[in-house]
This record gives sequence, C-alpha cells and structure tokens, in this order.
Amino acid sequence: MTWDWQYAWSIMPALLSGVRETFVVTLAAGALALGLGMLIAVAGWFAPGRVKLLVRGFVELARGLPILVLLFFAFYALPQYGVVLSPYTTGVLVLGVVYGAYCSEVYRGGIVSLPRGMWDACAALNLPRRTTWARVILPMVVRNSVGALGAYIIVIYKQTALLVTIGVPVLLTTAQTAGYASYRYLEPYTLAGVLYLLLNLPSMWMVRALERRVARGGF
Amino acid sequence: MAGSKPPALDFRGVGKAFGDTVVLDDFTLTVAPGETVTLIGPSGSGKTTVLRLAMLLERPDRGDIRVLGESITNVSAKESRRIARNLGMVFQQFNLFPHMTILQNLDLAQRTVMRLGRSAASARSIEHLEMVGLRDKADCYPLQLSGGQQQRVALARALTLRPKVLLLDEITSALDPELVGEVLEVVRKVTAETDITTLLVTHEMRFARDISDRVVMMDEGRVIEEAPPRTLFTKPSSPRTQAFIRRVLDH
Ligand SMILES: Nc1ncnc2c1ncn2[C@@H]1O[C@H](COP(=O)(O)OP(=O)(O)O)[C@@H](O)[C@H]1O
Ligand SMILES: [Mg+2]
Repeated sequence: MTWDWQYAWSIMPALLSGVRETFVVTLAAGALALGLGMLIAVAGWFAPGRVKLLVRGFVELARGLPILVLLFFAFYALPQYGVVLSPYTTGVLVLGVVYGAYCSEVYRGGIVSLPRGMWDACAALNLPRRTTWARVILPMVVRNSVGALGAYIIVIYKQTALLVTIGVPVLLTTAQTAGYASYRYLEPYTLAGVLYLLLNLPSMWMVRALERRVARGGF
Repeated sequence: MAGSKPPALDFRGVGKAFGDTVVLDDFTLTVAPGETVTLIGPSGSGKTTVLRLAMLLERPDRGDIRVLGESITNVSAKESRRIARNLGMVFQQFNLFPHMTILQNLDLAQRTVMRLGRSAASARSIEHLEMVGLRDKADCYPLQLSGGQQQRVALARALTLRPKVLLLDEITSALDPELVGEVLEVVRKVTAETDITTLLVTHEMRFARDISDRVVMMDEGRVIEEAPPRTLFTKPSSPRTQAFIRRVLDH
C-alpha cells in the first residue's frame, strides 16, 4: 500500500474540522482544569482537617483512576441515573476534573514553596487576607507555575484523543471516520499524528517563552 | 507630661522557643515614643525574633508585649490587625512583590488598608518615592532595580501607611557595600524629620552610633546591657559586649 496524495488531500477538510474541535475541547477542559485546580488548592488550604482529607481523597482518586474508566462511567453509567450529558460535555468535564486535580497539586506546591518573606510582607503591610491571596499569593503562584500548568494543558491536548471512544469529533475521531469510510488507514492516522505534533510544538515553545518571561520578573 | 504617654514598645519578660531552641528568655525592653533604639548582638541571639514578635508575625510563649500601651499578647485576630496598623517593618530581603510595579507595590496597602482611591493612593506613592529619590522608577518592576533601590522602595512602602513604630531588621545586610549608604541615608532622614519610633537591628556600628538614642546589646535571648551609643561603644560594661564590639569593628 503506497501513500495516496490525492486521497490524503481529500480528507484534509474533515481532519481540520477535527483540529478545530480538539482546540475547543482543549481550551474548555484546560480552563476548567486551571480554575478548578485553583479552587481545590485554596479550599484544601483553608479547610479544617476532615474536609482537607476529603479534598485529598478526591485529588488522589481523580489522579489514580484511568481516564477511560471515568469517561465510560460518566458517559454510560450516569445516564442510568438520569444524568445525561452530551459527548462534548462529558469529555470536557472528565478531562477538566482529572487535570484540575493535577493542577491543584501544582498550585499547592507553589503556595508551599513561596518564600516566607512574601507572607511577612503582606502581614507587615497589614493586608487583609483576601488581598493577600488575590493580589499577592495566587498571582505569584500562577507565575511560578506557568511551566508546569502549561505542560498539563499540552497533556490535555494530547489526551483529547481519548474522546474518540465516546464519539466527540476531535482530530483522532475524524481520522478514524475517514479511515472507516475508505478502508485506507495510512493517510488519516499519519496525517492525524503529524497534525497533533505540528500544533504541539508551538505550544511547547510558547510555554517555554512564557516561563522565561516570568523568570525575568515583572509581567 | 512625663509618664502620660505609654511606651511605644514594651516587652515584659518575653519568652519564645522554636521547638527545643529557646530563642528569647525573659526578654525585657521598653522603647519610648519617638526614640530610636538599635539592637546589636551576635547572630542567633534573637534580634530578628524580637522584631517579628512586635510586628505580630510570631506569638510569644511567655510574658507580655505592649504596642503603644496595648497588649498584643492575648488579643483576637481583629484586634491584632488594628494594633498592627501602628507598626511597619522592613526586612533584610526587601520582600517587594515581584509581579507588581514599584507604584503598585506602594499603592496596594494604601488602597486596601487605608481605603484610598486610585489617584489619591498613587499621589501619595509618588510623594514617598520622591522622598527616597526613586520617583523615576515608579513603573519599573522590583527586579529591574539594584538592591539598594529595592530596599529604599521597601522603606517607602512601609512609610506610606504612616506607622508610628518602624521595625528595621538588618536592612542593609543583603546589599553590596557601595549601596549601603543610600539606604541608611533614608533611615537617617526619616528618623530625624518625623517623630516615628524606630527599633532596628544593624551591624553598621557607625550608623548605629550616629542614629540611636540607645543601643541594646543582646546575647542568648536576653538584654545584656543597654546604654546611649557613646557609652556603650566606648566603655561597655559587660565583657561580652566588649568582645562583640571589638569583633564587629575588626571587620
Ligand atoms: N521560625 C523559626 N523556626 C525555627 N527556628 C527559628 C525560627 N526563627 C528563628 N529561629 C532560631 O532562633 C534563633 C534566633 O534567631 P533570630 O531571632 O533570627 O536571631 P538573630 O536575628 O539575632 O540572628 C536562631 O538559632 C534561629 O535558628
Ligand atoms: Mg536576624
């Protein structure tokens, strides 16, 4: 079987629509992960002992279970209890929650490793707790965590491929559909791989550039 | 008039330990309003801890600490916040917020603690930057400034809140020698031109001699000796003070 350029060209529009969907899912799940992760980290910080344990349990569970198990559970088991979610919503929620758990660990580490001097400065200026967290602690933590958080967004981007199993039309799904339609698999999967990679490299460069920028201070 | 005003700072038999390390042991010291007092003593003698206790960054294990006549030892979080409003502290490592411009560093507490509007806060910030000679750096970020400039900003930031008591913990120790003078000059100006009370820790003995009303020698968590600078530096009564001063002056 040899590479067929004409066929490859003909499936490109379908693949590109998959790229767009992959982007949308990545952005939605990524935003959810970043926000939820922050919420989990801050809640875990302030929560009394028992609630803290609960939060930790949740984080360990989300990180410990295979994503596919959660995905199938949400997509096939939940409807039996009346919770019916679209494939898109299911995919975004599961990826967002799982990587929210990962991100919460990044934030937590960031909070713990913030120099004591920052807390001292806030206290010496008598800043209210809200201001201390909203204007000093969390902005600094986010800046110090740009690299790790960006890396997780890139992982989410790759993991959207899992959503092929519940029929979200992400890049891998569109490649699979094209393959089934013509019984030619070389071109769709090769192109899918190339597209995943092509979009991934610039994101990695962007994250690195962002990291360097933050390291220079300011920003 | 004497006796009508309570001391600015009053430590009475204060004890503080971190785990098994006893840092302060029956520490007693009174600082009068408007007075400038310098703590000296070997590393580890508890000087920083004294300032951190006054700033309410740490809690004493024993004894009582009063700020402007009010005990800070057994008070609610809300009360301690109110009392802490009278205090300002500058640290060895500047502790400026690296993600904010110099102006934002100065504005933040004025806006959230003093509840000033944006323009009122910025106007005061600029005034304070002018006082430390850094008006043109308002829009820079801390890491773009030299250590000496950062520390002057930190002083300005602390002063924007009009503290009655200023706590300075070795504020020139992290600086290159050629940058020490510009920072001390600001302190000199502030203590001379205002009625602020200052409790400071420094290893700059000449500066301590010039600026202090009183110098307090600490060792192992206690006051060994206290006297006006001329007395303490020229004829210290304790052998430990004599040894310490000789050692510091040698460097
Ligand atoms: N937060 C802390 N936890 C444990 N030990 C501390 C802490 N702060 C200070 N110490 C210890 O207390 C002792 C006195 O510290 P410090 O007040 O910083 O002395 P100085 O400023 O005179 O050098 C030191 O031995 C130091 O290691
Ligand atoms: Mg010290």
